[in-house]
Amino acid sequence: MNSMPSLLAASASNAALWTFLIYMLAVFSLAVLSNKLMKGKNFLSEYFLGSRGLGVWAFALTFAATSASGGSFTGFPSKIYTHGWVLGLWIGSYIVVPICAMGLLGKRINQVARLSSSITVPDILRDRFRSAAFGLIAVALIVFFMSFNLVAQFKAGSLILKTLVLDVGVFQDASTAVNGWIEGIGFLEGVDAGYLICLMTFGIAVIIYTTYGGFHAVVWTDVMQGIVMVIGVLIMLPLALMLVSKEAPEGTGGLEYATRQMIEMVPPEEGTLTLHSTGVVTENLAIRQGDWLTLPGESPRLFRVTGESNIPAGSSSASGVSVLEIMTPGDIDRVLGHEDTVIRSDLQVDLESLEMTAYVFGGEEDRNGNGQLDEGEDRNKNGKLDHPQKGMYVTGPGPDKREINGFLPLSLAVSFFFMWAISGSGQPSSMVRLMAFKDTITLRRSIFTVALYYSMIYFPLVIIFCCARILLPGMENESDRIMPAMAIFLTENIGLGWLAGLLVAAPFAAVMSTVDSFLLMISSALVRDIYQRNINPDVQEKTVKTLSYIFTILVGLGAMAGAVNPPQFLQDIIVYTGSGLAAAFLAPMVFALYWPRSNASGCISGMLVGFAAHLSMYFSGIFVNGSFFQPYRLLDFDPIIVGLFTSFAATFVATLLTAPPPRDLVQKYFCKPRTES
Amino acid sequence: MNEQPSDLAPDQMPEPEEMEYDPVFLHARREAIVIFCTWLVALIWAVPYCYMHGYNVADPSQIKTVFGIPSWLFWGIAVPWIVANLFTTWFCFGFMKDAELVDCPDEAMESPLEQVESK
Repeated sequence: MNSMPSLLAASASNAALWTFLIYMLAVFSLAVLSNKLMKGKNFLSEYFLGSRGLGVWAFALTFAATSASGGSFTGFPSKIYTHGWVLGLWIGSYIVVPICAMGLLGKRINQVARLSSSITVPDILRDRFRSAAFGLIAVALIVFFMSFNLVAQFKAGSLILKTLVLDVGVFQDASTAVNGWIEGIGFLEGVDAGYLICLMTFGIAVIIYTTYGGFHAVVWTDVMQGIVMVIGVLIMLPLALMLVSKEAPEGTGGLEYATRQMIEMVPPEEGTLTLHSTGVVTENLAIRQGDWLTLPGESPRLFRVTGESNIPAGSSSASGVSVLEIMTPGDIDRVLGHEDTVIRSDLQVDLESLEMTAYVFGGEEDRNGNGQLDEGEDRNKNGKLDHPQKGMYVTGPGPDKREINGFLPLSLAVSFFFMWAISGSGQPSSMVRLMAFKDTITLRRSIFTVALYYSMIYFPLVIIFCCARILLPGMENESDRIMPAMAIFLTENIGLGWLAGLLVAAPFAAVMSTVDSFLLMISSALVRDIYQRNINPDVQEKTVKTLSYIFTILVGLGAMAGAVNPPQFLQDIIVYTGSGLAAAFLAPMVFALYWPRSNASGCISGMLVGFAAHLSMYFSGIFVNGSFFQPYRLLDFDPIIVGLFTSFAATFVATLLTAPPPRDLVQKYFCKPRTES
Repeated sequence: MNEQPSDLAPDQMPEPEEMEYDPVFLHARREAIVIFCTWLVALIWAVPYCYMHGYNVADPSQIKTVFGIPSWLFWGIAVPWIVANLFTTWFCFGFMKDAELVDCPDEAMESPLEQVESK
């Protein structure tokens, strides 16, 4: 069967490399074109907002691609593979995300931005309430959240690139060389040379095209990246179904067969064991990640190595080898029966050394079927018989390694309905795009386009990676790489390995389209909101231009430096910053746009209270759960619910307790001279 | 270009009775309320339906499928997805009002250099 290292066969990797190079060439060409377009126009407005001239395709695809981020093509497939069909409910609110994220604020934010001549989100808040302090608070929060997010996204992009070029000879040679160079450099001590090369390549490429091309370069590359993403999914879907249906009995559809197989599936167990060599070890015997091991017998047991290890020369065994045990009989038969599966016959599993742990939810087995914990059944030692194991992957809340209530209990299902649809509307990066469309016809057509676009991406992804459970069993421990693994597996099976390059480019495109937008948002906050509006309002255009270039480069280099030794909790940082921004920005923006009575005091209060309430849930996590990134869940709800609720309540109450806004402001943003009918 | 109210001196400000709410604001607010209600309906249908039919299933081997998708997910998410797309189509082409979005003849959209010169 397939293991990741061997999956990335040389032919596919070379194809991936060529795809990547062609792709980057296209990105740079777009940046050059964008730069030419800027000539003769107001620099700031063009560089940061595209002069509010986005048409349907540009607006729809830049919006969709920026929102999609790397998570859609790395984290999401990994979650589907790990937890099963319940991810359909997890992503369920995407049925209304386009209409919510674009329609809730779109028309009004564009109108108010035009009335106030705003280029950035802090610009709008500052001018709408005529409060410089409000603008500065908004800038501070944007820079705070987005800087963290940018570091995490840089890491994600570099990891994806590394997967793409892992088996390319040039890359391996370069890694060896760089490894020698960085030895002894304190700052780079212990950094993986391959990762460093990918970080530099990814980082410098994004910084150059974003800096040179500005907003239009970002938008156009987003359009290209958006097209790559949807093509990738639309190619993978029929291929996955076709390959599964090959295994299905006659008369049973591919997806039907996949779901029936998933009903029989049992979550794997993780742990360690000792391996003995069957022969004399004269030189270091490597035990590689992805290697298959068996314990033969009437019901053979199957293990997969999850961490690199070795048996040193002169020794005969290696202890503490990390493994994953496949628990589903059908999967075991499938792996053992596959002609490409290589079982390590030179290694013998020591039965006595096995120390395995089952999933906390879904890992129990009611072997006697009596609904009680009998001796030997409490394998995860939590004293609770959670469920019979079978069926976990086709029902809610889905199996989970750590969470005792499963992956998606009811409270979290509700939270995620808020998270995607409502908090998606509160992202400043989305708001900026809403300020950039040309007219309301563009808005209407774009909402429709994005609705179709998301339909073609998200539910098909759930289907594809449910099929992956059947086609590529045993990848739970490296599920973050399931997307490239599937891409290569599917294309090689139909003899079109080169196509893998295009498919693997999809997640890379997704990260890039997010990173470039965030980069521009931070530099616009520094140049426009801080320098031009607070320090030097009469600044010359030439200086603005130079400063914009310098700040975009500096912010990019700063994020790149941060990503050399990135924080461990990648996905957690992305979730924290995304939900934190929504908790701080959504309520003030909604009230600013739709409530004439709203005032600066009320909206500033709402912003700060939302930020603080959300942060306090994460801080409480340190004391309650032992980690900042395992936040305290009030009534089991995600911190985003607490943040949004308190922010809306605080804005409303504080507004009523303070003086109404000046009449001229209300008239400017909400009224027009009466027309005689 | 139209003069905006806040561009006028306080003594030139029009009286409230000379002003009316901007139809763009009124339409946008009405559309936002409809969108929020749509989200609420989607939440009220999808989560309880999936919870009642797809959680705590006594015998998962008896679970029904439609086109290979577990039926709780098919009726809870897949079908509503199609319905939501039909609703979005109607919303975009039959409900949303077009409006003229006018740029303010303000300083910021002009080049800062032009501002200085015009002053």
